[in-house]
Amino acid sequence: MPEPLLAIEHLRVDFPAVVAVNDLSLTMAPGDVCGLIGPNGAGKTTTMRAVSGLQEFTRGSVRVAGHELASEPDEMKRRLGFMPDFCPTYDQLTTMEFLEHFARAFDVPNRPKRIDDCLELTWLTDKRDSLCEELSRGMKQRLVLAKTLLPDPQVLLLDEPASGLDPLGRIELRKILLQLRDAGKAVLISSHILTELSGFCNQAAIMERGRLVKFGTIADLGQQMNARRMSVKWRGASEPALEILRNTNVKIIETAAAGATFDFAGETDALDELLKTLVVQGVRVSEWRGVGDDLEQIFLQSGAKELM
Amino acid sequence: MKLSENPIFITRQRLGHRSGVLAAVLIAALIGFCLLLGLVESLRDPAHSFKTPQEAGKFFYGWIVGVEILVIVIGGFSAIARAMTEDRKAGLWDSNRLTPMKPPQILAGYWLGSALREFYMAMALAGFGLLIVLLGRLPVFLWLGTQTLIASTALFFGLLGLLAGMAFQRSPGLLIFLGLFFVWPLTFLAPSRMLVDFLLPVYGIGNLFCDHPPEKDSYATDWHSPPDIFGLPIPPVALSLILQLVIGLFIWRALVRKTANPFQPLLLRWEAFALFGILFFSQHALLWDLWRGHFPDLAKVIKKFNEPETLLPIVHGGTLFIGGLLIFLASPQPEHVRVESLRLGFKNFGAIFSRSAVSLAIALAGAAAVALLTQFMFAPAKSWKIFLVAAANSAEIFLVLALLLEFCRLRHRRRALGFVALWLFVLCVMPFILAGVFSSEITARFSLLAPAFVALSNANECWPSLAGALLTHFGVIVVLFLGWRRQWKKLLESAA
Repeated sequence: MPEPLLAIEHLRVDFPAVVAVNDLSLTMAPGDVCGLIGPNGAGKTTTMRAVSGLQEFTRGSVRVAGHELASEPDEMKRRLGFMPDFCPTYDQLTTMEFLEHFARAFDVPNRPKRIDDCLELTWLTDKRDSLCEELSRGMKQRLVLAKTLLPDPQVLLLDEPASGLDPLGRIELRKILLQLRDAGKAVLISSHILTELSGFCNQAAIMERGRLVKFGTIADLGQQMNARRMSVKWRGASEPALEILRNTNVKIIETAAAGATFDFAGETDALDELLKTLVVQGVRVSEWRGVGDDLEQIFLQSGAKELM
Repeated sequence: MKLSENPIFITRQRLGHRSGVLAAVLIAALIGFCLLLGLVESLRDPAHSFKTPQEAGKFFYGWIVGVEILVIVIGGFSAIARAMTEDRKAGLWDSNRLTPMKPPQILAGYWLGSALREFYMAMALAGFGLLIVLLGRLPVFLWLGTQTLIASTALFFGLLGLLAGMAFQRSPGLLIFLGLFFVWPLTFLAPSRMLVDFLLPVYGIGNLFCDHPPEKDSYATDWHSPPDIFGLPIPPVALSLILQLVIGLFIWRALVRKTANPFQPLLLRWEAFALFGILFFSQHALLWDLWRGHFPDLAKVIKKFNEPETLLPIVHGGTLFIGGLLIFLASPQPEHVRVESLRLGFKNFGAIFSRSAVSLAIALAGAAAVALLTQFMFAPAKSWKIFLVAAANSAEIFLVLALLLEFCRLRHRRRALGFVALWLFVLCVMPFILAGVFSSEITARFSLLAPAFVALSNANECWPSLAGALLTHFGVIVVLFLGWRRQWKKLLESAA
């Protein structure tokens, strides 16, 4: 079995009066993009800061490409890029100078070309001579991402990378992340906005109150799901439809004037059969869909709360 | 990595140049030019108040030195501390720490790159200073010596600036300015006897300006002769450079450690102990020539300093201040000990004691006592009581500080410092207030600060009342110790 790019084992971080991260273990292979999901205060940022070496941890170990954080911090720093949830930039430097600063610090070979590549990757080439203070929030975010990518790290930790981006910026970010995934990087990306992560994460790690509630590939977690949340809407009277639902293997979560949300525990064929029964019994079904995508489904059934 | 390739140095240089240095350098050059003009004018006009060109040269070069110190020492400190606090606030400090740069490289970038504007200003002033020295027919060594001392002091204060930048949320430039403003007059009390005169380095510069023996009994006598270390004369410039280098090395080690891991204590215990020992042995070595181990009998009376008996109480005050500061810096945060206990699995009280500042306080008190003993060692019959009171009182004060600090941190958490201040006020200041209210001198002696000061300044003191005060303070320590022990026990239980 190949060495995982990122291996976190039994990580624990203590703050006064609270265990911020408790016994967290996860591994990521090349090409893995893992969504670190959880409500505010779940411990996502603390986990990332601990993995990057900014936060002291009480127990556990962190290895990046086989290099242990505790014993080989310098080797690890060359292989790990951390993008915080805010944009630390030198406002009075140009974007080019800012990147040059970090390219020197990482001793990046062929500096000018690498800086150009990173500027191009983050669509900032035309801003190379602009002062950092003149950039919009989204541009700054992309600049910090470019800085993170400069040393070509094998593992990327992105803390709420899309928090300040407009819709176009989010689409651009998604494209960059897909490129990184295809380039064989391991990306751990935190967010409390699930739609941000949908579509390109192949792993999910759900945190609540410092604990990892669920971790695995989206496919595995989907299979583990014991129920699928569905939404149905109809035209006409509600009672016949609700009667059918009650008599089937579903748990009704919410009812509305002409619709309901329910959890269905069973195979896809059985779900199809339920729809057929509704239609055959004369219910005029106007909408039939799963609530959210895979990631949202997994999260909803993880037991974690308070997500945006 | 060469300094010219250090990314932080390059960035600080860019930021400095972008915010403008020309105007600042021109201001410094204009000041230098005006002083040079003043000298030329005084040399041209024979009716001028200066007796010789040298006297005029010293006057105008003295101004250059003063302004240069203000610019590069105070201004440099402030600029470095500001650069650090701003980068920490913006998250850039962490960004730099996440690069493979070594902590000394990161620190060197901030240290040598953040005060370039002040450096250029000082260079302009130094240039005009050299012209003034040459025109005033003063020895070039005066310029060389003063510039060396200014440079070393600027580097030393730069390290302090880094330290302040790590500790404070805002640049404490004003604080250091005010601190120096109040310390400054003290440096003229006994110039060749006070360590602070060599750290700053007031004496070294003053001594360089005294190029011929002063008249007998003049105040300048104390500025002319080299300082004595246990009776052996040592060049003042060398003493200043050695002291700044040694203390600077300790500060550098602390900074490197904090940069590598901000969760480590600023000072290791052996460093705090060594630093304290170096400072107080040097201080007592500077005083040694006065009593030569026969305190309170003076071996030699220094001129124009009529009350040499006030020197030991002043040194005692300094001992308490520095000792208290080191205890504060080396005292562990309870949360850090709790996490360490979780990590290493220790639960015994011995482990707590070895990490606590209480054991350090005992060690510091021991070092202070040994340093103080040098003044008493050859007249034990006459002075053993004074020595015992002073040593015991220092030990009590250090212990109270260490116990109180940790007790309040454990008990009151974020409000700890307020409660430490409250209890120190009760123990140190209240007895003086009560003494005023009840017109009772005895009450004042029960202040935690009183016994040593009283014993050192008045050899014929009434010993029973001082012994009573010391015993009372010991009782306070016992009570504090019990509370302190209970709080640590609770913390260890919570870590189980």
